[in-house]
Amino acid sequence: MTIDSNKQAAEADLGVAVGGVTPADVQGGDLMKVPMWKIRWRLFKRSAGQTWGMFSENRMGVFGLALILLFAVMAIIHPILMSTIWDPRVYDPVNGYDAVVTEYTVVEGEPTDPTSEIALTEAKLRLNPTIKAGETVSIPTQPAPPSMDGEYAHLLGTDARGRDILSQLLYSTRAAFFLGAVAALTTVLIATTVGAIAAYFGGWIDGSLMRFADLILLMPLLPVLILLSAMLEITMVTLGVMIGVLSGFGGVAIVLKSQALSVKVKSYIDAAKVAGGSDWHVIFRHIVPNVLPLSFLFMMFGVTEAIAIEATLSFFGLLNVPMTWGIMINNAQTNGYLLSGTSYWWLLFPAGLAVSFLCFAFFLVGRGMDEVINPRLRAR
Amino acid sequence: MIKFLLGRLAQMAVLFVIFLSLVWLMLQLMPGDISDTLIGNPDIPLEARIDLRERLGLDQPLWNQYLTYITNFFQGEMGVSFSRYPQDVSVVLWQALPRTLVLFLTATILAFWLGFKTGKLIAWRRGAVTEQGLITTGIFLQTVFYPWFAIVMLWLFGFFFGWFPIGRFIDARLWQGAPYDANDLFFQMIISVIVVSVIYGIGSVLIRRYSRNLVTQSRLGRAVGLASIGGLLLFWWISPATEYVADIAHHTMLPVITLGLVAFGATMLLTRSAMLETLGEDYILTARAKGIPDTVIRDRHAARNAMLPVTTSLVLALAFVIGGGIVTETIFSWPGMGLVFLQAINVSDIPLAVGALSITGVLALFGHLIADILYAVLDPRIRIT
Amino acid sequence: MTISVEDLATRQVDPTKPLLEVDRLVMRYKIKAGEVSAVEDVSFTVHQGEAVGLVGESGCGKTSVALSLLRLLPSNAEYVSGEIRLNGEDLLFLSNEEMRQRRWKEISMVFQGAMNSWNPVYRVGDQIRETLDTHYRGVMNYDDQRTHMEKLFSAVGLPPSMLDRYPHEYSGGMRQRAVIAMALACSPQLIIADEPTTALDVIVQDQILKELKRIQQDLGMSIIYISHDIAVIAEVTDSLGVMYAGKLVEYGPTASVFARPRHPYAYLLLRSTPSISGPRRQLAPLEGEPPDLLDPPTGCRFHPRCPFATDQCVHDEPPLEEIGGGHRVACWHHDQVPELEGALQR
Repeated sequence: MTIDSNKQAAEADLGVAVGGVTPADVQGGDLMKVPMWKIRWRLFKRSAGQTWGMFSENRMGVFGLALILLFAVMAIIHPILMSTIWDPRVYDPVNGYDAVVTEYTVVEGEPTDPTSEIALTEAKLRLNPTIKAGETVSIPTQPAPPSMDGEYAHLLGTDARGRDILSQLLYSTRAAFFLGAVAALTTVLIATTVGAIAAYFGGWIDGSLMRFADLILLMPLLPVLILLSAMLEITMVTLGVMIGVLSGFGGVAIVLKSQALSVKVKSYIDAAKVAGGSDWHVIFRHIVPNVLPLSFLFMMFGVTEAIAIEATLSFFGLLNVPMTWGIMINNAQTNGYLLSGTSYWWLLFPAGLAVSFLCFAFFLVGRGMDEVINPRLRAR
Repeated sequence: MIKFLLGRLAQMAVLFVIFLSLVWLMLQLMPGDISDTLIGNPDIPLEARIDLRERLGLDQPLWNQYLTYITNFFQGEMGVSFSRYPQDVSVVLWQALPRTLVLFLTATILAFWLGFKTGKLIAWRRGAVTEQGLITTGIFLQTVFYPWFAIVMLWLFGFFFGWFPIGRFIDARLWQGAPYDANDLFFQMIISVIVVSVIYGIGSVLIRRYSRNLVTQSRLGRAVGLASIGGLLLFWWISPATEYVADIAHHTMLPVITLGLVAFGATMLLTRSAMLETLGEDYILTARAKGIPDTVIRDRHAARNAMLPVTTSLVLALAFVIGGGIVTETIFSWPGMGLVFLQAINVSDIPLAVGALSITGVLALFGHLIADILYAVLDPRIRIT
Repeated sequence: MTISVEDLATRQVDPTKPLLEVDRLVMRYKIKAGEVSAVEDVSFTVHQGEAVGLVGESGCGKTSVALSLLRLLPSNAEYVSGEIRLNGEDLLFLSNEEMRQRRWKEISMVFQGAMNSWNPVYRVGDQIRETLDTHYRGVMNYDDQRTHMEKLFSAVGLPPSMLDRYPHEYSGGMRQRAVIAMALACSPQLIIADEPTTALDVIVQDQILKELKRIQQDLGMSIIYISHDIAVIAEVTDSLGVMYAGKLVEYGPTASVFARPRHPYAYLLLRSTPSISGPRRQLAPLEGEPPDLLDPPTGCRFHPRCPFATDQCVHDEPPLEEIGGGHRVACWHHDQVPELEGALQR
């Protein structure tokens, strides 16, 4: 956009003539009548519009965003469902129970149809020694496959304890978003501050912060978290903060620091300092906002990492949380259903795919933003 | 260069001591102490507990305990394992470490080599149909939930197709009454691979000295490479332990492939980005103006420079590989350090857990160091200031 | 002390024979918004041993012309029409492989911002040797190459030991000289020097220009200088061309074009630098900006900024016409241009 068209657009927006500031303006002309926040808001809207324009050219990024929205809907829908059409005694993700039973006919010898018939010897062993052939028995089958029949519909079946899988899935979405947000925000907050401070002050502050970051980089995150989880009871919030702190001081800080460095050497920083800005003013009003786009990018990848780590820790049974996707898979494993292949697919696939797809979505959004921030990656 | 190396080593040593200290601190923050774990029964009289604490040196001032801990570690003394009593922690780890190393190194090297090649190729020809497909695959591999992915891989290739054994290190039935010890044989396999690699390395260096021509260099290099691999296979073919070696190798393949696939995806994507950046540089245009053939520009100029950010990422990838290693070993029941660590955590075998974590730290450190050295080798601006 | 360049290949030069003929070249870039008319109907000839200059503002197309000669344009560039003949052979019709073989061997280039022409991970000597390996495969062995490169470096005034160093160990001026040495490596018939001295301080600039001139004359090479610095160009070239908005608006012997520019743009451009020795006159600033080549002005592309513009200029494009002594101008009102001289001197 050329200077002229910018000017025209701004004039159209504000309804006043924007141009060279003349003495008339300074003495209380039209320009002064438009409040500052309004001007800032409109400029923000324009740059946001431009950014969205560039972002939306990347189909994958938009797809990722759509996926995230889908998951958000999933998270919101759960409490609605629970308070309206779902009976909490059955559908509660942690405590619900549905006694799904299957009717079997007792037969002599080998059953021809194992889904509806049961051998006499087996029935005698498992249920009642006095049973006779020809009778029908109801055997609770948990985990139950997905079905819409019966009194309660289980679109994704139930797990080994009779709890509805779909309910668990939706409930865990909330936990995932929450954890991702906490972890990513903490990481970025810390990393941006550390990076900006290190870049601005330089010298020994920079040196020690970077040495510390090297140390953090050195520690492999998962084993350390595993050890911590063995020693402390870890909840979602704690986990989020821990992940945030451990990641925030590490590699991300290093990258953001070099970005902050490249901002620091720009002349407007000198201008701000000459104008009398204190150090903190310069850091937080000038350096940080220009590092923010990159920070935001890392936030996306931070969410991905946090969700995956939480799911892994839950999978190992190390977390003290009621229900997450990782725990769903852990439940499947502890009850020995994992290697059963496709027979109990609903125990493994929905949860695993949920984690994968949410991470996938955030990653795509991150990549889409990468193309906006780094012009060289754009296809001509 | 040597100065650079020594400097880095010293830095690493300091960092590691700090790391160990932090681990020790974490231990101290735990409620209670080792004696509580050792004597779980509260009925045991206080005197016995005090006696035990004395023997374990827990009545010493904290500072002394700390020093003892650190010095012990560097002497290889890491205590006795609770869960595998009476084995020393160091003995357990010494057995498990090579296996984990094999898993890491094979997966990482394969993944980086293949990932780099692929990323290089798709960046060079933008807009090819395969590009979009490969990118999607790469993203999928990078973001898929790894434990789930490993389970699916195990089920698919081990159970469903039956191409690979379902986890574990060896097939116990095969080895009953065998004249060999699995660990010994494994060691021998590692050594044979190392020997062959060294031979290949020497061969490459010699080739570079004696032929200036790039074309003969690459042809000879390929020949020596094939000869090395062929020699290795031949050696094990004629050895009497063939079927046992094959068994071990067979069990190792699927975990390595699973771990490697994810690293492959990440490397490929990163290489592609790095190549795209490099291709915009002026010296690429100069190379084209010089009349240099396209493949040479792609490989000798663009890819060579793209290697720099990819090597930096090796450091970050390390953290993933270590974590991923733990998950892989758990799901494939592959008895490496990660599995030992997790099992130790689950039964509160603190000495073993801490020992495993410390060794993991050492591995991470060496990984960093190697990445730094690699980077210095690749970028003369770092070496020569 | 520099080794004389007589050892390098020299050739017999006949200044009347054309080496390179650019004949009505039209080149456009395809972008999302449309087509950018970057080079429009440009024609000029470079004779053997001749030094030709191309001047103009940034974006006027001079670099596009240069890159076209080597066919180094990006993939969205399209040659719409015209020919580029090197010794009679149309370069635009060659296959990629044939063109590749001619690059550097027949035509080489010294790029703008020569600092970045070097790949940072290889030694400078190895990068020069690359050209020899590519074009003299089998003809020169390793030692021959080394000797040759040492001569090249001496010719540009660099110590031969620097061949074993990396680019980041060079200073700016040294890098520039090394780039020139590399451009000479395959003894090309034509060198294109795109802004060879920008970003260098004035003293080094002078040295390099003198070296280039000397080398060019001694070796019998032709050279095309591209610059926006008229003073530099005026010193070293035999012929001078002025480009504006993708068009060649004036062309002729340097002395003639420089002393008596006949295109309003050329006039204003050449008179925009003060002269220490000449008569005192006002600097003549150019108002406005170069046009957007996505949607260029009709008729003469300079008409929006031209003091002499008339209706005819808006509707008809002036052809490049000879006005005597090999001096060509593309302007309907070129005879009115001398008025500006008097106007400025008031």
